[in-house]
Amino acid sequence: MRRPWLVIFLSLLLLWLLVTQLNHYLAVWRVYLFAGGLFVTYAALQLPLRSGLTASLLAGLLCDANSPVPPGTHLLLFAAAHAVVFHLRDRIPRDQTLTRVIIALLANLALFLVFSFVLIGLSPAPAVIWPRLIFDLVCSQVFIALVAPWFFALQTRALELAATGRRSRY
Amino acid sequence: MPPRFDQARPFVTLGVVVAIWLLLPVVIKGGLRISFFELQAPVSVSASYLRDLQEYWGLRVHSKPELIAAGRDLARANAAFELASQQNTEFLAEIRRLENLLQVPAHTDYRFEHVRVVRRDFSGWWQRLIIRKGKNYGIPVGAPVVFTGGVVGRVVEVRAYTAVVELISSPNLRLAAVIEGDTRPMSFQGGLNPTFGPAKAVIEFVPLDIFASAAATRRLVTSGLGGVFPPGLTLGQVVKIEPSTDGLFKTGEVLLDPRLGELTEVTVLVPLNPS
Repeated sequence: MRRPWLVIFLSLLLLWLLVTQLNHYLAVWRVYLFAGGLFVTYAALQLPLRSGLTASLLAGLLCDANSPVPPGTHLLLFAAAHAVVFHLRDRIPRDQTLTRVIIALLANLALFLVFSFVLIGLSPAPAVIWPRLIFDLVCSQVFIALVAPWFFALQTRALELAATGRRSRY
Repeated sequence: MPPRFDQARPFVTLGVVVAIWLLLPVVIKGGLRISFFELQAPVSVSASYLRDLQEYWGLRVHSKPELIAAGRDLARANAAFELASQQNTEFLAEIRRLENLLQVPAHTDYRFEHVRVVRRDFSGWWQRLIIRKGKNYGIPVGAPVVFTGGVVGRVVEVRAYTAVVELISSPNLRLAAVIEGDTRPMSFQGGLNPTFGPAKAVIEFVPLDIFASAAATRRLVTSGLGGVFPPGLTLGQVVKIEPSTDGLFKTGEVLLDPRLGELTEVTVLVPLNPS
C-alpha cells in the first residue's frame, strides 16, 4: 500500500467528526471530550515512522484549525506523543487491543495535562477551572476506553481494505 | 543503520518537524489553518443540516390541536411585537431628531442576520460557536452576536460560508460593561464554566459604591464603549461583589444566561456603516 497515512488520516477525520458532534450535544451540560490520545496511538504503534507521523501531523493540523490556540499547538504535541509512543513500541505487545487502549489512555492523559497547563493562563481564575478540567478528563478517559477498541478495529480494517483494493487493481 | 541512531530516530524526526514548523513563514501557517478549516467545514455543515432535518421530523409528530394552540400564542406575541415595533419607530425618529438638533454622532445601524448554529464547542479552555453564514453573507470579523437573552459573543473568524463566534463565557473575551442605570464602565471577562451549571464571568474595576448579592442581583449590560457592542445589551446578573485586594475597586461574579449552552440560532448584528 502506497498511502497508508491517507487511510489513517481519513479515519481520524471520522473520529474528529464523531467527537465534535458529541461535544455539541454535551455542551448543554458543559462537558467536553478530548480524544487527542486516539489521534496518535494507532499510527505510532502500527505504521512506519514517516507515514505514521504524517497522519499524526495532519490530525494535529486539523485540530489546530478548529481551536483558538497558537498555530502548531496540536501539531507539535501530537508529534511529540507520536515520537514517544513510537520509541516504546518495540518493548510492548503492540498487537494486543488492551495494550493499545492503555497507550491511548496514557497518551490522552499526558496531552490533556500539557494542553491544560499551556492554556490555563488565559482563565481569570485558574484554580476554579481545575475541577471542570478534571471532570472533562475523567469523561474523556471513559470515552476513549469505550471507543478505542472499535476505532482501532476500524483503522485495521480500513488499511486491509485499502491494501486489498490496491492489489485487485493490478 | 547503527542501533543507537535507530533508537533516537523518532526524536531526531521530531526535532526536524519542530525546526521546520518554527521556520515556516506565518503566511503558510495561516494558509494551512484556513485550508484545514475549510476541509472539514462541509462535513460539519452537513451534520447541522441533518440535525435540522431531524428536528423538523420531530416537530411533524405534533398533533393539530397543539399546532393550533401554538399558532394562537404566536399571533398574540406578534400583535404585542407589532405594537412595540411601532413605538420603536417613533423612538428612533425622536433619537434622529435629537441627534440632528444636538449635532452628536449618529448611532451605528445594524442589519440583523439570523444564523443557525453548526456546532457548539464548549471546553474548559475556550467557548465557541460555529455558525452557518460567513463571507457569503457579508459577516465581518468583530460583529456582535446576540440572542433573546442578550449578548452571545463576537465573531472572531470568518470563512467562506461559516464563521466562528467567541462566546462571552470564553476566557478569551473581554469587554467593557456597566451596571444597568450606572454609567461607570468596568471590565468583564468570561471563563468560569462549571460542569452541569450555568457559565459565570468575572467583573473587575467595579466602583466601591456598587453592591450586589445572590439575593439582590444587578443586571450587567454592555457599555457601548469600544464600538463593537451597542449599549444596553444584557450580559448577565451580578450575583457577588467583594472588595479587590488593592482596595481601590471591587471584583464580582456574573451569572450568565443558562440558555447560552443550548443555542441553535443566533443573530449577527452586521454594521451598516462600518467606518
